Amino acid sequence: MQLYRGGIEDIINIYNTVKEFLKADVYGYKRYGNSLVFDFIESSSELPIDVHVVQRPGFYRVSRGFGFIHSSHSPKNLLYPFKQELFRVDQELNIKTLENSLKPVILFGIKPCDVAAINVFDKLFGNNFNPYYLNRRRSVVGIVVEECLNPGETCFCSTMGTGPDARNGFDLAFAKVDRDLVIFKAGSSLGEKIVAKANLQKASDDDVKRYEILLEEAKRKTNLGIGVEDIQTSLEKSITDVELWRKVSEKCVGCANCNMVCPTCFCSEIVDDVVGDEAVRIMQLIGCLSYTYGLVAGGHFRKELYTRYRHFILHKFVFYPKQIDLFGCVGCGRCTVWCPVGIDIRETVKTVASRYRG
Amino acid sequence: MSNPFTSIIKGVVINEISETTTTKTITIKLVNGSMNPMPGQFNMLYVFGLGEVPISISNLYPGKRDIVEHTIRFVGAVTRAMIKAIRVGSQIGVRGPYGNKWPLEEAEGSDILIVSGGIGFAPLRPVVKYIIMNRERFGRVNILYGARTPEEFLYKYEFEEYSKIPNSKFLLSIDKPYPGWTGYVGFVTDLIKYTDVDTGNSYTFVCGPEIMMKVAVKKLLERGFRKDKIFLSMERRMRCGVGICGTCQFGHLFVCKNGPIFRYSEIENYVNVEGI
Repeated sequence: MQLYRGGIEDIINIYNTVKEFLKADVYGYKRYGNSLVFDFIESSSELPIDVHVVQRPGFYRVSRGFGFIHSSHSPKNLLYPFKQELFRVDQELNIKTLENSLKPVILFGIKPCDVAAINVFDKLFGNNFNPYYLNRRRSVVGIVVEECLNPGETCFCSTMGTGPDARNGFDLAFAKVDRDLVIFKAGSSLGEKIVAKANLQKASDDDVKRYEILLEEAKRKTNLGIGVEDIQTSLEKSITDVELWRKVSEKCVGCANCNMVCPTCFCSEIVDDVVGDEAVRIMQLIGCLSYTYGLVAGGHFRKELYTRYRHFILHKFVFYPKQIDLFGCVGCGRCTVWCPVGIDIRETVKTVASRYRG
Repeated sequence: MSNPFTSIIKGVVINEISETTTTKTITIKLVNGSMNPMPGQFNMLYVFGLGEVPISISNLYPGKRDIVEHTIRFVGAVTRAMIKAIRVGSQIGVRGPYGNKWPLEEAEGSDILIVSGGIGFAPLRPVVKYIIMNRERFGRVNILYGARTPEEFLYKYEFEEYSKIPNSKFLLSIDKPYPGWTGYVGFVTDLIKYTDVDTGNSYTFVCGPEIMMKVAVKKLLERGFRKDKIFLSMERRMRCGVGICGTCQFGHLFVCKNGPIFRYSEIENYVNVEGI
């Protein structure tokens, strides 16, 4: 694949070029107080170019720097909002559907793991037809990915096969080698056009070499040292091991942070919000770790916390592959970073694998 | 494809039968839509301002695509409203039908065993009705139905009809002795030993509390029934009916979409796993 080169200013150059070319709103990560959000980017000054994040289990700090990783948000916040209005209905059961016209959107600077998560939703909600997701998804006219040459401590995308480099499902990708060298690559004909319009030069052999060295290092850092098939088969064997699942979930407080930040967690409930003479039917995320997940008026299908934690893990590695032939875990590590007690998904799968492998 | 959520058909309740102190059967006439639900399927019933509940089809109205019938047990806010506030003439939203059906075509030519407990008989009543209407298509039929007390049986007014099905056996059980009850006392699963269908060539349909279904399967297998011919109707926290809310997942299966009827051999790895 042809690689192109530029400096840090060319990220802004690409931002301007793609925005102008596609005449679309740009959404991406941006600084918000002491964190980052995934939101509308009004100007290139909001791009997280001078941001660095330190993330460890149960730990997240934003500082100035160069190696931005990601945040508790992801493109899920745009494509599958935590709360979405489905429709309105009056007492005579007349239904008012929503205006469905969304402006064209460019996802800018999303991560390779984010792209993998979008692929998961595309397949799930294509099979199990979800008009709300598909409508939002169709508004995406361009995807620009930032590869991770400086992955987070909790990232394991290399094991999951989703990163740290952009693999598929993107138009253009960039990787920050240093302030003077940013590598760009096109992933589609649209990406080729943007590269040409932005007047990027071809990368030299030396540029490519510097990029590849960092990429190899990033791949090494994001590798768990255990194959994903091993994880999958050992998890499948562990399903009835109550003692093991109680043990790996013993610190869990059932807050469902992991579900909320997970880019492939979609479980939702639907509630009525009565406003005047109308009821607004609202779909809102409910995490499988929260107590109310599985709670029905007549009983509870997942009363014990270990069963809910087990579902979270099994869904990602065992159930998702059976449902859509893709892993539901994209190796982003968000669940681990945003867990208030730092439960590390990598440790969980390693613990299960060490008992059930082979 | 149309939006599943907004496909709510307006319904008007045209008949209600109080089955027990906590259950009621309502017949709904669909006003601006129609459907042809099959035994085993369910509808999402909507009460304005309160929400939707998944309720199985509990009767057949062949040729009448604008009539559906559901038996509702009072357990939470929405069902409470249905029991307490919905009357003949009340409006109710209906969307569906969702889910798969009892494999009645596959079972043609075979014996049929029905094992049901409590409200679990509701999704099986259309099967009984279907058998009555198409009696020649099936072999010997056994119907086992258990409730806590004689008063808690649903559709008592149809029992005489059930007991007159040719070449059949209709057995009832209650959990504890009760004044005037001369039938069996114990669990409905105990009645499995009195069945006289051909175990190797019989289709068994089971619905009831989860624990009852687990025991039923165990006893059925012990008696030699085939695990690929035992079907269970599972229940989970269903919110959407179309596999996108995710809360009904049973292992990797979406109960609303892949079920609610499952062949035992397809779910045997899950049935005895607590909270799967």
